Amino acid sequence: MQIKNSAVSMIIDATDQKELEEIKLQFLGRNGKLTLAMKEMAKLPKEKRPEIGMLANDVKKIIEETIKNHELRIMNQESETRAAKIDVTNPGIKPNIGHLHPMTQVLYEVVDIFKRIGFQVADGPEIETDYYNFEILNIHKDHPARDVQQTLYLDTRGSKSNPGEIILRTHGSNMQGRIMETIKSPVRAIYPGKVFRYEQVDASHGFEFWQLEGLAVDKNLALTDLFGTMSYVVKEFFGSDTKVKFVSHNFPFTEPSAEAYMGCTVCKGKGCSFCKHSGWVEILGCGMIHPNILKAVGYDPQKVSGFAWGMGLSRMVTLKYQMDDLRLLTNPDLRILEQF
Amino acid sequence: MKAPLSWLKEYVDIKLSPKELGEKLTEVGLGVEKIIQTSDDVIFELEITPNRPDCLSIIGVAREIAAIENIKVKPQGVIGRHPKGVIGKPTKSLPLTIKTDSKINPRFTGIIIDNIKVRESPKWLKERLENVGQRSINNIVDITNYVMLELGNPIHAFDYDKIVGSTMIVSQTKGGEKFESVDGVSYHLPKNAVVISDKEKIIDLCGIKGGKNSGTYEGTKTIFIRVPVEIPNLIRRTSQALGLRSDASSIFERGINAGGTLDALKRCVDLVLEIAGGDVASNIYDIKSQDFKPWKLKLRKERLNKILGIEIPVKKILAILEALNLSPVLKKDAIEATIPTYRNDLKIEEDLIEEVARIYGYNNFPKTMPIGEIPIQQIPYFKDCKLDEKIKNILKASGFSEIYTYSLTSEKDLVEAGINSQSTLRVDNPVSREFEYLRPTLKINLLKALNQNRANFERINLFELGKVYTGKHLDDATENYFLSGISNSKSFFEIKGVLEKLLEDLGIKDDVTKYVEILPKGIFFELNYSQILKKISARWRTNKIFNPLPKYPPVVEDLSIVAKNNTKTIDLIEEIKNQSSLIVDVSLLDQFEDSKTFHIIYQDKNKNLTGEEVKKIREVILKVLKEKFGAVLKE
Repeated sequence: MQIKNSAVSMIIDATDQKELEEIKLQFLGRNGKLTLAMKEMAKLPKEKRPEIGMLANDVKKIIEETIKNHELRIMNQESETRAAKIDVTNPGIKPNIGHLHPMTQVLYEVVDIFKRIGFQVADGPEIETDYYNFEILNIHKDHPARDVQQTLYLDTRGSKSNPGEIILRTHGSNMQGRIMETIKSPVRAIYPGKVFRYEQVDASHGFEFWQLEGLAVDKNLALTDLFGTMSYVVKEFFGSDTKVKFVSHNFPFTEPSAEAYMGCTVCKGKGCSFCKHSGWVEILGCGMIHPNILKAVGYDPQKVSGFAWGMGLSRMVTLKYQMDDLRLLTNPDLRILEQF
Repeated sequence: MKAPLSWLKEYVDIKLSPKELGEKLTEVGLGVEKIIQTSDDVIFELEITPNRPDCLSIIGVAREIAAIENIKVKPQGVIGRHPKGVIGKPTKSLPLTIKTDSKINPRFTGIIIDNIKVRESPKWLKERLENVGQRSINNIVDITNYVMLELGNPIHAFDYDKIVGSTMIVSQTKGGEKFESVDGVSYHLPKNAVVISDKEKIIDLCGIKGGKNSGTYEGTKTIFIRVPVEIPNLIRRTSQALGLRSDASSIFERGINAGGTLDALKRCVDLVLEIAGGDVASNIYDIKSQDFKPWKLKLRKERLNKILGIEIPVKKILAILEALNLSPVLKKDAIEATIPTYRNDLKIEEDLIEEVARIYGYNNFPKTMPIGEIPIQQIPYFKDCKLDEKIKNILKASGFSEIYTYSLTSEKDLVEAGINSQSTLRVDNPVSREFEYLRPTLKINLLKALNQNRANFERINLFELGKVYTGKHLDDATENYFLSGISNSKSFFEIKGVLEKLLEDLGIKDDVTKYVEILPKGIFFELNYSQILKKISARWRTNKIFNPLPKYPPVVEDLSIVAKNNTKTIDLIEEIKNQSSLIVDVSLLDQFEDSKTFHIIYQDKNKNLTGEEVKKIREVILKVLKEKFGAVLKE
């Protein structure tokens, strides 16, 4: 009993692991007090041995358990001490993950929005013929609408083509003819991509930028469906409380044609320099596909109808993140990219 | 198009405030870009789309306002101030021979006025013109410009006495003829320009500019007023070839009101007589290929409702068409509209549908979502965005940031990159020499991007997934997506590892070494992404098959081999693997001087491998390595 008491009191007083080990050795080791005491048991009369034996075992157990418990206590104390030595309020060490370009992020988001309503993504050529870029879209050779989209022509020397026949596409609409010619109604397609214009570069214009155009053709598509779809997309992307309005416009490839405006995200419609003080920002052009085009691709305008639209993807990015210069999107400065 | 409120009010009663009017005009398609308040007037700056040349005139805008407000245009504004709307009998008859060709000049309307006094225009006329940005020249020229702005038909006044032989011949140029415009600029005319010549010389570049040699100046006593109908294509081609435009050519290019020449002429004559005096000195000349009358167009109510998606009551449809001056008549099968000659844009049923919709007001339409079968057949040109996303995310996770750069590059950049500009696709009319060629690689811009960032960052890892364009000349032109990247902080093997992981995740077996290049400033990689796409099966997302966990433990050992320095690790690994199907993995654990340590894992799916079995395989390995590579076990 004496052994037990002295062991326990020593254990309680122990302050670190090392001490506990020593205590263990002192009592339970080869020459430990308890061990020796148990050896003494052999000198005891037979009748007394079982009783003493059990007592000895109990004491051993108690000592071992006490050591264990106090081991735990000491370990916790040690980790608390360790923690107190480091300043946990220091910022964490962030993993070295890179960044996807804001245009990619916006593209994926918009693609998602369209996928939800049954659209598939298509991708086509940037080097294009005058035919698919203009002619099949109801823009014949002398059409004044060609002035609105100044064209970059490719050098045809050494090729079978004549100058002016092969161009860099001026809009994503070159996909309209290509897709509709090759597939029957119903169709729902969106085709993001790079387009090219003869334009000097400034904060809101460039010779290369991204558009997201698309079309839908089916038996019963109407203007209300067009307005509904465009409105859905704008609200999903910019927020459900975004105001959307439509005004009449003119494109050679749609009839009726419209432009959609959204409430300015910068001034919330009050008027600012961003929206030229009108409170509204132009976001896309759209319309019902012109019957001439439906005929040209082999559809019967009396049986099917469709709508098409075009939105500036580059512009959507600058609008969403309130960037004031298109050139930021082709500037590979990590200080820009890191923000996304 | 500048339209002053005061001028508009002469043609239509306007009750809306300028701001409200501006909003309404924009809604129906005449985009108001600016509303300018002057001291006593309000001027609307309108963006007129190419299909509405009739709105390049005050009367055109007034008609739109009338349609919006559902009222009529004031009658007296249309025909002129003359009480009966007719020009009085000529006091005399000056001779003039006109030879025209209706194939190149569909209508030639004109009249001679004698005894005029050319001088400064009256104040009201000058002010009106200045308000809309027109320069005042003299009363006659100003009147022609005024009537053009008012009614939409360009007019030119010739000095009658300068028309040699009193003969006007309309023809097309052969190309190269000299011509000096009223602005005093000399041109060599292109082929097929429509011109008027007298017995000696060219006196007018039709539809674009008058000639200096026959214009109206201070001393002019007699004028010939011409109100033509020109052919859009011919005017446009000449205008483009010369790089010369005018208010008149803009209108002609888009389509003139062929039925309006007489009204414009009458208005012009009235103003001339009123302001410059004089007497009518000829009958009206009106040489035309046809009568240019309004045409009929049918609109089916069912089709209108189908295309628009709502049921507009017939009464409303008729009211709108009436407001637009389209004289609708309800017939058994459809509404029949009569299209005035100034609406060249209304040719098919859908054009009328648009008219009804835009005046009805787009924002009065409900918004619906398409009802129909969702198409599941894969569309042509289909692109799997998820694949791009996956690849970009692997690069992002590996520390790379994505850039987007221009497709167009300069000759200088090509040369610096060691690329022959002769075999690079080129733009004939670049915006500048800096952007003249289509890039055949993404390396140029990635290098530039690396350099640009060095000012602010130590560790730079960038990638681009973009198109490159190859082909010696256009017939061979191909567009491919390349996936390229650059790093100044990762090792060659780290880059290799990223690419290996990428291809592995896509289920492609390929040695990526060839895609990586060590450059002075960093490590660069470039893969032909389009080619890789071809190698991927359509079911790349679901082509993995689960490998059940081995029931029996593998045997693992490290084998250190000494081989000649030029022995390739990959060859050794391949050879070791080949020796038994029980070898499931061989990798390079360590390398020191000429010794390589390979970590080999032996596994039998069906039983425990014994030491003996492994020993046998090992002996074969060592034998083959010695035979093929002269490699031996390290002591």
